[in-house]
Amino acid sequence: MAEPAATAFKVGDIVKIRLSGFRPGKIVEYRGPLGPGGAHIYRVRVRGKPYPAYTEVREDQLELVPAGS
Amino acid sequence: MPSASLLRWQNDRRARLAEMDAHCAAAAALAPPRPLLAEEGLRAYAMLLSGHFQGFCRDLYTESSQIIVAQVAAHLQGAVQMQFSAELKINSSNPTVETIRKDFERFGFTLDFHADQANGPRVTHLGEMNKWRNAIAHQRPTAPPGVPPLTLAGVQAWRVSCDGLAAWLDGILYNELRRILGVAPW
Repeated sequence: MAEPAATAFKVGDIVKIRLSGFRPGKIVEYRGPLGPGGAHIYRVRVRGKPYPAYTEVREDQLELVPAGS
Repeated sequence: MPSASLLRWQNDRRARLAEMDAHCAAAAALAPPRPLLAEEGLRAYAMLLSGHFQGFCRDLYTESSQIIVAQVAAHLQGAVQMQFSAELKINSSNPTVETIRKDFERFGFTLDFHADQANGPRVTHLGEMNKWRNAIAHQRPTAPPGVPPLTLAGVQAWRVSCDGLAAWLDGILYNELRRILGVAPW
């Protein structure tokens, strides 16, 4: 689904999932306003190759990791 | 009240498929005939239909799982989300009865397609659609064994069946989530 203009994150952003033990991961897909109350949901790759793993989280669970940090 | 996933199916995905339907009907009626355009269009339509139905199933699974997640303590939400996402079949497999059943039964109920008599022909159509999807994706020149030839009327019948299955699945998830949560999920 195409990202609407008003979302806080975009595909390709590196993010940290709050209250999780995962290292920062990349947003790989905007899933749409599928959360409670229409919350935006993102698919995040939390582990890379050779065994990638993904999770889907709400926008309010994410923190943007500045580029280069 | 339908889920956001069903609303998207009804208001966006169905409209896109209707455009493809009109395109295929127009391509089939061209004079002079352009059979290659008609055939390729029909194959694209079948692929898109299966893809959109898969997309609806993914959406409904995500929407349902996030409703459950919102009910657990904040520090547990990441773990629950990871469990819902791990090894999910519908993200990478065709939307077959088996795939849909395996994924949605993670919510802790038996998903019996045959509990509703109306699903008999729908399930048959879903199977035909997915077999054709694979045949098209792998560029097989003939119909899959035991499956009717690809026709516009056939794909239109599959679309009606996907529509029925989408509404049925939405209703099942509404009732099961209401049972689990004690309140209406959407």
